Amino acid sequence: MKPALIISAGTCGLARGAEALIKAAKDYQRKRRLHREFEIKITGCHGLCEAEPNILVHFNGKFIFYQKLKPENVKDIIEKTILKGTIIKEFLWFDSETRKRYVDIDEIPFYQKQKRILLGHNVLIEPKYIKDYMKFGGYSAVGKVLKKYRPLDVINIIKKSGLRGRGGAGFPTGKKWELCQKAKSSEKYVVCNADEGDPGAYMDRSLLEGNSHSVIEGIIIGAYAIGAQEGIIYVRNEYPLAIRNLGIALKQAHNKGFLGKNILKSKFNFEITVVRGAGAFVCGEETALLTSIEGRVGRPKPRPPYPTESGLWGKPTNINNVETWANIPQIISKGAEWFSGIGTKRSKGTKIFSLVGKINNTGLVEVPMGITLREIIDEIGGGIPGGKEFKAVQTGGPSGGCIPKSLLDLPIDYESLTKAGSMMGSGGMIVMDEDTCMVDIARYFLDFSLHESCGKCPSCRLGTKQMVEILDRITEGEGKEGDIEFLENIGKNVKLASLCGLGQTAANPVLTTIKYFRDEYLAHIKEKRCPALVCKSLISYVIDSELCGGCTICAKNCPSDAITGEPKGIYTIDQKKCTKCGICFTICPSKFKAVKKVSPPIK
Amino acid sequence: MIKITINKKEILAKRGETVLEVAQRQGIYIPTLCYHKDLVPYGGCRLCIVEVKGWSVPVASCTLPVQDGMVVKTDTPRLKKLRRFSLQLILSEHPHACLICDKEEECVQYQECIAKSAVTFGCKFCARNGDCELQELVEKLGIKEIPFEFSYRNLEIEKFDPFFERDYNLCVLCGRCVRMCQEVRGAGILDFQHRGPETLVGTAYNLSHLEAGCQFCGACVDVCPTGALRDRYSKWLGSPQRSVKTTCALCNIGCSININVRANTVVSSTPDNNQICVRGRFGIAPLVHHPKRIISPMLRKGERLVEVEWEEAFDFVCSKVVEHKGKTGILFSPQLTIEAINSVYGLADHLKCEKLATTSALETNLKPLDLKGFRGNLVFVIVNTDMISDFSPLLLKLRSPQKIKPVFIVIDAVDSKLTQIVDLWLRPELGKEVDVLKLLFAQKKMKNTTAVSTRDIKLGKDLLKKKNIYLLYNPYNIENITVPKYVKKIPLTAKINTLKIIDMGVDSPTMDLLQDKNIDCLYLLGTAPKLNWKYKTIIVQDCFPPQFRFDLFLPTATFAEVNGSVVNIEGKIKRIRKAIEPLGKSKSDDWIIAQISKRLNHNTKNRKPKKRKTIISAIAKTKKVSEKYPIHLIVRENGYSYRGHRLATLMKGFERLRGDNCVWLNNRTAKKSKIKDGAEIKIIGRTLNLVMPARVTEDVPENSVLVYYHPSMGAVNSQPVRITKKDKQR
Repeated sequence: MKPALIISAGTCGLARGAEALIKAAKDYQRKRRLHREFEIKITGCHGLCEAEPNILVHFNGKFIFYQKLKPENVKDIIEKTILKGTIIKEFLWFDSETRKRYVDIDEIPFYQKQKRILLGHNVLIEPKYIKDYMKFGGYSAVGKVLKKYRPLDVINIIKKSGLRGRGGAGFPTGKKWELCQKAKSSEKYVVCNADEGDPGAYMDRSLLEGNSHSVIEGIIIGAYAIGAQEGIIYVRNEYPLAIRNLGIALKQAHNKGFLGKNILKSKFNFEITVVRGAGAFVCGEETALLTSIEGRVGRPKPRPPYPTESGLWGKPTNINNVETWANIPQIISKGAEWFSGIGTKRSKGTKIFSLVGKINNTGLVEVPMGITLREIIDEIGGGIPGGKEFKAVQTGGPSGGCIPKSLLDLPIDYESLTKAGSMMGSGGMIVMDEDTCMVDIARYFLDFSLHESCGKCPSCRLGTKQMVEILDRITEGEGKEGDIEFLENIGKNVKLASLCGLGQTAANPVLTTIKYFRDEYLAHIKEKRCPALVCKSLISYVIDSELCGGCTICAKNCPSDAITGEPKGIYTIDQKKCTKCGICFTICPSKFKAVKKVSPPIK
Repeated sequence: MIKITINKKEILAKRGETVLEVAQRQGIYIPTLCYHKDLVPYGGCRLCIVEVKGWSVPVASCTLPVQDGMVVKTDTPRLKKLRRFSLQLILSEHPHACLICDKEEECVQYQECIAKSAVTFGCKFCARNGDCELQELVEKLGIKEIPFEFSYRNLEIEKFDPFFERDYNLCVLCGRCVRMCQEVRGAGILDFQHRGPETLVGTAYNLSHLEAGCQFCGACVDVCPTGALRDRYSKWLGSPQRSVKTTCALCNIGCSININVRANTVVSSTPDNNQICVRGRFGIAPLVHHPKRIISPMLRKGERLVEVEWEEAFDFVCSKVVEHKGKTGILFSPQLTIEAINSVYGLADHLKCEKLATTSALETNLKPLDLKGFRGNLVFVIVNTDMISDFSPLLLKLRSPQKIKPVFIVIDAVDSKLTQIVDLWLRPELGKEVDVLKLLFAQKKMKNTTAVSTRDIKLGKDLLKKKNIYLLYNPYNIENITVPKYVKKIPLTAKINTLKIIDMGVDSPTMDLLQDKNIDCLYLLGTAPKLNWKYKTIIVQDCFPPQFRFDLFLPTATFAEVNGSVVNIEGKIKRIRKAIEPLGKSKSDDWIIAQISKRLNHNTKNRKPKKRKTIISAIAKTKKVSEKYPIHLIVRENGYSYRGHRLATLMKGFERLRGDNCVWLNNRTAKKSKIKDGAEIKIIGRTLNLVMPARVTEDVPENSVLVYYHPSMGAVNSQPVRITKKDKQR
């Protein structure tokens, strides 16, 4: 195989400067007429965000991983690695945990512990070319299904594999298909839910950008099993690259005869259209998503009737998440036993998480079910940066909960996360260190849910509003005795009284932080102290007289002239004038580090 | 039938029913707020939640279909707690100072708020006080306190639209008005705006209701559980003490309504489990108690009008009709009761009067409309008739969900709200409507000479295929139409009792009567047409005074003050019931005529009035425009009038909504003639000279003007005219 320069150019890569790398590589290739010597592949995200913009050099069967590149580095890579075969050490991935540099992608600890059955192809496939996908067995599953299986056989395979919905709730996929297949109607729909709205979660985007064919193939198989004639992919409009790549992929699949009339000369007809969501978090809820497709305000509807009985335009509709659909071709190709061999007793297969927050290796990780949180955070994630202490991890986005250090050995599956007060969700995983205030973080997530509430039920629209107001008060030092109990009480009622998933889970961040970090709430309320030194109203900035070098920088930069002192002497902050902007804290030279935060504030 | 268990009681239920419906039928109380029997269940307020065995989370019973063997509990402590929680949250956004106040007794005693809460935070100054579903729920759920922080939305009260006001500070977002507007009325003016805590009810782009195209049927006001939407007229009239079921006589549909009365005042009129329109909902109370009403007989003595007793008035009438025997013309409004019409005919027979006419559009082939006859695959072709403003309750019935969705095609040169909701709108030039119809029903190929594209005609033909076709048209608005026999013609006229008058016959069309120089004495019953010359005697019997000089005014009661009956478009006789005693000295039409007859020694009993020949009234004919008269005048029947008066001239709201006292013209036409909206303009035709205010609109095609016919305009037919600004002539 020809050497290749594989450039990670998902939305995240592009944002970190992949575009310039692509241009530099193409220019150099054209200038030196090196088209025969190597090829350039522009692929989706490679998963290790921390390393972006990164390039994989495919050379002699090795995949050399170069990280954090600048456009001028591309010339070196081509000249040295591709043409001469020498490895440039300073571009290699340096692992902060093992303090080592790694050459091949598979050697990097971040990738080693993962099982990338869905994301693995992202580095090999150029999403613009269907041939790339087909080279790795793409669309063979559709052929297999149409030639060998009856619809019920497909459903049985999926049921046997134990695949559960990856959108969060974990409903068995095969069972859902069966319900929809049994529903009596001449018209049925399959829908792909790509309205990924959790802050800091981008699993679906990465799959759609890097390998949309796998999702399309899954949908075709599902439609055949269920008996649907039309499929809809509901993507949020904030994913322009995913929408573009999907459009290209659908066109190509059509041209190859995987979509349209008489697919692969069978009697099966199927079409897929893309609907762009107008950007409401609640449209990720299946009934709201369907109303949004119908062109109305995206608001959830009560169930029953479930969409499998009466969904889009009142017809039976099967909705699955992007990741669920992407699993289908793999299960068909490799068999149900292979799939159910991965994972735990009740949760099979792998799950993609977006590992973000206070973690060394931020990125997309695909791990087998049953792996512990500690393995993900310490081994794959490379631990917490700056030698800080791990505090908690939020799984399941704003609807999930905070899991504390004591539960780090929790094996990840649907049941155990729910038991811990959180949920699997779509796969957001936000790591927090000792500098994170748990009251503040609960307030942040709840505020998100409040503003994304559709406004239908009073419990969600007003219950969360009341909770946010109380949390606001607590973080401002106005907390009262009894606030915690009141928060718990409202939270539990909101959970029970709300109509849809959004309302039923909105209180989770608050309830779990109260459960695991009650002392932090108490410190805020009783001592008017923020242990993490985050809540502005509860801290003061002071200059440590022993450390201050009298460099005058802080005094010069203070916007409210609160810092006074003699040059080369000791500076002090006038607490009455201080607006707690924090500029002095960040600007104080690291050789002094004299500005400190203290809580409770100095009056 | 399936069996379910509610609160340990086994109940038989029908498949498809909801748990709430079954419980309500069994008399099991489940609190509701967003639920309304006429609307599709919404499941938003979370008050009707119940526990179902096997389910971990409580579910809303209003949306829960019954399943065989379902075990439901409706009043567990957990449910009670959650219901209170939801209602308390709702009240955290709704002013509730009075709802949870324990000083109720003192409040009544001292007429003053002891708790010193602000006016806007309590119920005392809310128009719905005492008739509010939230008050009822607070009582039923036993809410004594609101543990939550109160947040007042602090929005301005929306008073800029006619007929009703909106105070969204009181809105609980139950969505009833939204669903009513969308589901039942099919209007879609209202929807939710924003989301989360900012959610509000409103129109698209926050337009006023008038701009958004609202027809002010008031259905949203009637389903609002709070005081957020309130009828402006009745707001401070107090809650009604009784309501009287009667019939609205303002148009030919004759909807059943309830007139709500307090003391001897009509507070409001509301639908009687049906859908009505703006006239019946908001027009009746202000009409009955209109400040311009004359409620005692007035006789002209010299130059002055003097209030007289009935006796003197009757003496005057008798002496005049005897004096002018054979030279008396009687012109009556169709909006009287049948009884009054009968006595008018009787009186005319006795006087041997050959000059009896009415002010309604008449057509000989008008037949009772059979609503039950619409079956199967229906297509309604509507020609030159704005069914939304004139016949909306009828249109709703035609549009109501059926097995096969009916198809609607509109042929009209004039745009209206109707054209937006139909399947196909064919817009020909003026006067070419008949040609479009011919094209639609042509068997062979025909040359298309209209502005409608051949593609649209083909679309129309496709829609008409193998279906039961009904042609709906107002005979007043279009010249004679001929269609194939399989098309059923349904003429629609706006005035009630038209069928009765066609049955009885009249002597001449309205305008011919006014052209008759042999008439010396004119007896006008509920009409105020334009008079061409001076008469020796003019007797007016009406509720409001006419514009012209008259000799005697006999004050009559409106249909809300009399007993009687009317006959509607379906040929049904509908009862008119007396809601209040006639105001002042006013009396019912039949009483007045009976008194006159008695004085003329005419025995009204057991005598059938003789039938007269029927004459087809004015028919529109479009003539070609010329250089001198370059603009088409379109004349349409005015469905918004009562007796001799336009509702628009009596009530500001109707003027803003319909503007049928104006001449409508296209904005390009207006620009060409430099006419501004609201300016007085002159319309000059060969036989015509009208002065009316202008209403500039996009609805009318270019180079044409539209007027809604009213007798006070005199004889007006569709014809070429020219328009000029009025002040230019000075």
